[in-house]
Amino acid sequence: MKKLLKTALISAGLIMSASTFAADYPTKNIRLVVPFGAGGGTDSVGRTLANSAKDILGTNISVMNRTGGAGAVGMSYGANRRADGYTLTVVTREIASLPQMGLMQNTADDFKLIRMVNLDPAVILVPADSPFNSVSDLIAEAKKNPGKIKFASTASPNFYLMALEKDQGIKLNAIPYNGSSEAIPSVLGHHTQVTMVTPGEAIAQLRSGQLKGLGVMSAERISYIPDVPTLIEQGFNVTTGTWRGIGAPKDTPDEIIEILGNAFDKAMATAEFKEFMKKGAMTIHPLNAQEFTDFVKEDVKLLGQLIN
Amino acid sequence: MEYLLNGFASAFSLAVFPILVFGVLGGVILGALPGLTATMGVAILLPFTFSMDPTPALVMLIGVYIGGIYGGSIAAILLKTPGTPASAATVLDGHSMAIKGQAAKALSIAAVASFIGGLISTIVLIAVSPMLADFALRFNAPEYFALALFGLTIIASVSAENIMKGLLAGTIGLLVSMVGLDPISSVPRFTFGIQDLYSGINIIPVLIGLFAISEGLNQLEKLASNQKDTAPKFDYKVLSFSDFKKILPTTIKSGLIGTSIGSVPGAGADISAFACYNEAKRVAKNPEEFGKGSMHGLAAAEAGNNGVTGGSLVPLLTLGVPGDAVAAVLLGALVVQGLTPGPLLFSQNPEIVYGIFSSMIVANIVMLIVGFLGIRFFCRIIEVPKIIIIPIIIFLSIIGAYAINNSMFDVGIALTFGLLGFILNKLDIPSSPILLAIILGPMAETNLRKSLILYEGSWSFLYDRPIALAFILFAIFSVYSTMKLKKKQKQNSQKHN
Repeated sequence: MKKLLKTALISAGLIMSASTFAADYPTKNIRLVVPFGAGGGTDSVGRTLANSAKDILGTNISVMNRTGGAGAVGMSYGANRRADGYTLTVVTREIASLPQMGLMQNTADDFKLIRMVNLDPAVILVPADSPFNSVSDLIAEAKKNPGKIKFASTASPNFYLMALEKDQGIKLNAIPYNGSSEAIPSVLGHHTQVTMVTPGEAIAQLRSGQLKGLGVMSAERISYIPDVPTLIEQGFNVTTGTWRGIGAPKDTPDEIIEILGNAFDKAMATAEFKEFMKKGAMTIHPLNAQEFTDFVKEDVKLLGQLIN
Repeated sequence: MEYLLNGFASAFSLAVFPILVFGVLGGVILGALPGLTATMGVAILLPFTFSMDPTPALVMLIGVYIGGIYGGSIAAILLKTPGTPASAATVLDGHSMAIKGQAAKALSIAAVASFIGGLISTIVLIAVSPMLADFALRFNAPEYFALALFGLTIIASVSAENIMKGLLAGTIGLLVSMVGLDPISSVPRFTFGIQDLYSGINIIPVLIGLFAISEGLNQLEKLASNQKDTAPKFDYKVLSFSDFKKILPTTIKSGLIGTSIGSVPGAGADISAFACYNEAKRVAKNPEEFGKGSMHGLAAAEAGNNGVTGGSLVPLLTLGVPGDAVAAVLLGALVVQGLTPGPLLFSQNPEIVYGIFSSMIVANIVMLIVGFLGIRFFCRIIEVPKIIIIPIIIFLSIIGAYAINNSMFDVGIALTFGLLGFILNKLDIPSSPILLAIILGPMAETNLRKSLILYEGSWSFLYDRPIALAFILFAIFSVYSTMKLKKKQKQNSQKHN
């Protein structure tokens, strides 16, 4: 009984303190957990967004890199912080895949998702002198020689490739490299024949003509690589890619989520942030809290089909 | 050439030069502190460069990089605590020299060797980067596997007296490197459901534990047992010209090896330092001096790790992919500045490329000056009573272990390995093979399995790829020459008896 009373009192206290927090939120520095290392893609997006949002919120946002387990460590850390709006987390597509693979204890449900920031499609890339000139060429060869085309995979398992394989009933020989910085040289050196990365990861090689883009896996063409047709245009109805967004622990009061959401909307619209994303060839895709939550639910389902 | 001269002009301009000096100095300090690495320094400074012009931004980061790789040697020599994995090989001879009272000489050799290694690397980068890029592109899973295999044979030459103990240490390292997600199938191994272990055991806390904390414990024990605190005598004598002439061939060779290793994405300063140490020992007239304060060993390790600095920019500038963690941050800096790394940079923004080249040369010169001017100051550290300096080292080590990833888990790792290192030290089991195995174990495993997938189960990659075959022959040769050396030593000792 005593214990129950204690719990009730504590939770009442928490609710009260949370609501008083919301009234004049934010009153202190906000911490943004980045689940990947300093200097990487997720980190630089997080830092730039934090930098743009700090003036809007009128408080400093400090970035904390918490790496490990392909993002699992940092995202779990962020999910289990106090739900007072002072610890936010950059959530990435791994939150939708890792829990289903048994590699992460927390799931997307442990977050209240605030805004989606960017959505980048996968691009199918081959060396400039490759005999493949279209996605049809690639798929025809894959059907003729199942499991023979050497695919430089940026991660294992590779959901970009699995989406295409499942849709077309093909199988490639996927060699797991450690990210695009290993997969791209492997294709450039003709050790493997094809890879899939996001436009930003291969923009240097695409612009210099070392790599050829066979197709981009988005609904519409991407402005940074206007000459690369979509798979849909080529008759293959497959889209896939990766995304990032901002989340808070699931019990964070809605008032705070709203304040933060509005601030991030403005931050994503600043010239500074837009310029940064343009330079990195990343596509801003600002979904609001509800849209983002629905999107993630859908992606969890999609990935679940690939994983099982 | 004109661009290069313009680059020098800008490197010495009032707007850039102070930033360069600041970068090098900052790098030296960061590198010297256990747990704070050149990579971390560059990553922390990256956001500050967002609002800077491209040239000063890159110059600052490059200064930190070059200074950081050198800075690690200072703590390695004076305190037996390598500031970064890149200077783990420096401990072997550098610290032995300091114990013998040659601290100033060791520091000056480190500075000179780092300078020459860095300079050679930069010159090679400027002159033949397209050729090096071609070499780097030939590297794939089979070559990495063969390189790692060769690297693992270095355990024999760094395990001082007793090869069995060295192999034992290497095995401990390999076991540690197995923890984490399986690199091919992503199945957790030895993680006991602890999420922090999923990405494996981070090398930096292990380094801090094995070297800094265990050395701290070791010294504390001496203090506690009231052994007389024999403050090492030392003079301020730096290396003489004849010393310089003696180490020059080793230094130049190590600089070239370092550049080649650096130009291969994924192989960095830590592997290079050990490989150069191994090579220097192999050709040495008196290999038995290695590990007991050999100038050649120290010079090889230092020229080898700084030799990587230019090499690691080869893939970045010619292929647009980062060769190591620092190059990855530099890539981020280039992208934020709106520049496209890769071959286009040479044609579209030659001023940036040559700005990088010339600032690397200037940064190496600044590093040499800082290194020499600092000798008197650094040597003072030895004079600080042990009772004061040891708690400071342990304190800094713990902060360093925490700072890598803001994680108390890593502090636990550092303390565990500190205790392990302390016990192994009592048993005369060397620590460097553990480190080598942790660096090379995953590289060997992942790339062997990748090669087998690439070759669909065939082992022919072991002999039908020239570079891989060369490394495998190096590995066999390395084992053979160590065995021959041991035999000779045995015969010698029998003769003495």
